[in-house]
Amino acid sequence: MSKNYVRLVTITGAAFFLLWLGGLAWAVGEYYAGSTESIQKPSAQEKVVPNKKGLTITAIGDSLTRGTGDETGKGYVGVLADELKERTNQPIQLTNLGINGQTSGQLREQVQQIEVGRQIQKADMVLVTIGGNDLFRGGEGLMDLETNTISEIEKKYIDNLNFIFQQIRKNNEDATVFFIGLYNPFIELDQGKEMSKIVRRWNYDSAEVSAAFPKVVFVPTFDIFELNVNDYLYTDKFHPNTKGYRLIAERVASLVTW
Amino acid sequence: MNKLIQNEMMKLIAKKRLVVIALIIGVLVVLFTYAQYKDVQRERDKLGTNDWRTILQQQIVDTTNRLSSSRLSDEWRQELQISLQQKQYYLDHDINPAEPGAPTFIRIFLENAIDLFIPLMVMVIASDIVSSEHSIGTVKLLLTRPVRRWKVLMSKYISLCLAISLIIAIAGLLSFLISGLVFGYKGWNAPIITGFHVTGSGLNTSDVKLLDLWKFLMMDFGLVWFVAIVVGTLAFMLSVLIRSTAAGMGVMLAALISGAILNNMVSSWESAKYFFMVNLRLTDYMQGNPPPIEGMTLSFSLMVLFVWWAASLAVSFLVFTKKDVF
Repeated sequence: MSKNYVRLVTITGAAFFLLWLGGLAWAVGEYYAGSTESIQKPSAQEKVVPNKKGLTITAIGDSLTRGTGDETGKGYVGVLADELKERTNQPIQLTNLGINGQTSGQLREQVQQIEVGRQIQKADMVLVTIGGNDLFRGGEGLMDLETNTISEIEKKYIDNLNFIFQQIRKNNEDATVFFIGLYNPFIELDQGKEMSKIVRRWNYDSAEVSAAFPKVVFVPTFDIFELNVNDYLYTDKFHPNTKGYRLIAERVASLVTW
Repeated sequence: MNKLIQNEMMKLIAKKRLVVIALIIGVLVVLFTYAQYKDVQRERDKLGTNDWRTILQQQIVDTTNRLSSSRLSDEWRQELQISLQQKQYYLDHDINPAEPGAPTFIRIFLENAIDLFIPLMVMVIASDIVSSEHSIGTVKLLLTRPVRRWKVLMSKYISLCLAISLIIAIAGLLSFLISGLVFGYKGWNAPIITGFHVTGSGLNTSDVKLLDLWKFLMMDFGLVWFVAIVVGTLAFMLSVLIRSTAAGMGVMLAALISGAILNNMVSSWESAKYFFMVNLRLTDYMQGNPPPIEGMTLSFSLMVLFVWWAASLAVSFLVFTKKDVF
């Protein structure tokens, strides 16, 4: 082994030793230096290039959008996307922004985020489910059927819904919006009849709001779950099961045209 | 002294340890590159796009949904919450947290290698640097020379430090070259956010700043190197104390692995933060990941590691200069 080779390795090692030592000192200095300038948020939202090939679907809303209760994990959004993919032979780009337990107030916040706005902007189709958590409040709504409280909740909800649709239309004028109505998961319980009445009125008012916007389609689901509700509900007796989601998806799929 | 170091370096090179380490790193980097590539591809297939904003937004929503599950431990929930806030911060500021390219791969590789992989590679050299002299009997030849004992040990320690520096450089170079084949060699100037501070109530973003990735990488390399030196010194001490290389390696390995395990479960045992092995993940501080035990900071971890380093160096020299050799 030549002496020069050993010397070369030694010197290289020494050079890296100093380099890494410098890196260490820099890291400590930088970590404790504090912020010098604040990072600017991008002010203007850049225009997105629409997805030319295929269909873009953006889904927003609550656990129904998420697909909670579906053993396959797809939810009605996933099933619908699969069906459209088969029917059109086009690639589908699906963005599912549904958040479990989301209320209309929280969705109102969510649609104002820049990136969510961008996702809506590039969509050909927007799917919305919201309101279930406002009305049922995780089953608590069943205990408290006071007309006053409910009409108060509904007033807020209608206001939020209006805002959400405005926001969607502001971002995207052309996309078809499908708004999925509520069903009554408690229809076979003692107070099911009264609850049904409330849900029907709730749906009617939601449909009215949808009608005020162009290309916003209200999709009723009340009738799907009216007769054999327990066949279509997950074990939590609140969310649809795989079959229930499939029925909702089929109903929306039959409405899609382009 | 210079001659002694040259001599030690010659022994190191003759043993071909560095070549073996380079081979191991090379093979593993190939594996990691492939795994990373698969990961990117799966994400793209799932969402039908490779727009990073869409992917990040989807990750944010997915994390939010995981947070709504009631069966989460408090620490895990906090960790998710912090990563959620970071992602949202990146998204709000229109910065891609993982700009595709070799530099990002190096960053991820270093962050994952700092607490186990790099220390293991260092151990390959450090564990037998003194004890092997015992086992093959050359220690007597070395010590009968008219050189002070501490000088002999010093030359060994210095050549160890040089070798460690080379290992870090090899790891960086190989991961750059190999991952670049797949991800491209660009992205040195991509911005990255640092300075997130994890507090009891969540993530503090008031001190964040933007850095070029190459600067950030230099800092990461510095931290990884420091960890490697500390672990190397500990292994060096064991090599002086224990005649058997295998036993020394076993002790060191047990310590490192126990650190990896402890990291996940010590959050309630506060005094565990004085162990060196829970302080190895220095790069997490740069990233703003929550530390394993509340209240740990970069300077704390550096101090703890420094004390362990100084102590083991002192013990090595004391024992080696006093020990009877027969």
